[in-house]
Amino acid sequence: MPLGEASGPPQKGNRPMMNLHGVDVYLWHQGTPDVPKEYGAMRLLFISNRGTKVYPPPAPDMELLDWPRCRYLSDAEVTDADIDALVGHLTGLGWKWTKTQKLFRKDGVDQFSQPY
Amino acid sequence: MAHKVCLIRGDGTGPELVAAVEHVIKAAKVDIEWIEVEAGLKCVEAGKPIVPDATIQKIKEVGVGLKAPMTTPIGKGSVSPNVTLRKRLDLYACVRPVRTLPGVPTPFDGLDIVIFRENTEDLYAQIEYMATERVAHSVKMISDFGCQRIIRAAFEYARKNGRKKVVGVHKANIMKIADGLFLRIFKEIAAEYPEIESWDNIIDNQCMQLVTKWKLYDVLVTLNLYGDIMSDLAAGMMGGLGVAPGANFGDKCALFEAVHGSAPKYTGMNKVNPTALLLSATLMLEHLGEKKARDDIEGALIATLKKGVKTYDLGGSATTSGFGEAIASELKA
Repeated sequence: MPLGEASGPPQKGNRPMMNLHGVDVYLWHQGTPDVPKEYGAMRLLFISNRGTKVYPPPAPDMELLDWPRCRYLSDAEVTDADIDALVGHLTGLGWKWTKTQKLFRKDGVDQFSQPY
Repeated sequence: MAHKVCLIRGDGTGPELVAAVEHVIKAAKVDIEWIEVEAGLKCVEAGKPIVPDATIQKIKEVGVGLKAPMTTPIGKGSVSPNVTLRKRLDLYACVRPVRTLPGVPTPFDGLDIVIFRENTEDLYAQIEYMATERVAHSVKMISDFGCQRIIRAAFEYARKNGRKKVVGVHKANIMKIADGLFLRIFKEIAAEYPEIESWDNIIDNQCMQLVTKWKLYDVLVTLNLYGDIMSDLAAGMMGGLGVAPGANFGDKCALFEAVHGSAPKYTGMNKVNPTALLLSATLMLEHLGEKKARDDIEGALIATLKKGVKTYDLGGSATTSGFGEAIASELKA
């Protein structure tokens, strides 16, 4: 049975756009990195490891892997260039990152999950 | 000397279940000093985290906890209290024994399987984003370390408990990197236990085989999401979530829990089956070295069920407290 109707053109409408507010930077580093606490309008909200918050304290008593996630977030909207500058700054300080993910808000609602 | 145990009374029907279980354990003459710690909806309503840091610290200090079901608030920003406890206490092994209980008829006679579910990684790391307006992205995080310790825990359990077979369950035919890592480590660790027969199965095939060839299986070890689904499937085979116990182990502490929800619509009705929490408590007693009390309570539970004293989910009319009282009476008999 063909299902062409089910996979029709994408829905369009007056949906609000997502606004950029920060970035998650995943580092290749064993332990909890001593990264800058802020950069521009963005501040370091937390560092998590395996999805669990390890900074700021209290840190859980758990084994840390070499893939901490550093969340930099701003209350105000930021630009792609701000994100590029932050990531470039971390690289300049010698941090090796493996993945980044931009953080959006839509109508003031976070479009990303929180750590445990 | 009394065993110290942290107690979370839970949400919804949780406090009623705990009361029944406390009554049975008292009748079994086990000396337990219950240390009540708070978590769940009441904490959220009081403006606290759903699992306060003080609760985490106390369970760490005591090392053992019994937890009644809790409710995960629905809405933005809410996290599961159950997953929070597992992650913050690093309770990496969710152990779910499923077996046929005399007096609880099911089509699966002779069912006797223990499922080891990795508890801290996989999609349950809850790392999620809207990548664009139209695309949601969840990070499935699997580590060598996470795989090693859950797989080793399963083989060690098999060795210590006379279990003959361990099967690793995955979907490495599709997720060749993440599940492929699990499968590679499973094969490496299996080679260290030559006396235990081992092989691997793909999760979908495993689910089919569970309901067609359940007697083939002994110990199953798997990743978080597959373990979540497969252990509820197995609980259904056992007779339902009302009779399925669960335990969460880390290297430093253990938390025992019924695997069902808080059944808020039955709150205060004295109706829900306390068997799952009671059997979880017997796992706790075993962990505490109280093996006679464990055996006594299980024997009293089975005797009660065989007499036809059952709660509504098993086709009976016993209340939560009445069922607990019937088991306690068997213990005193």
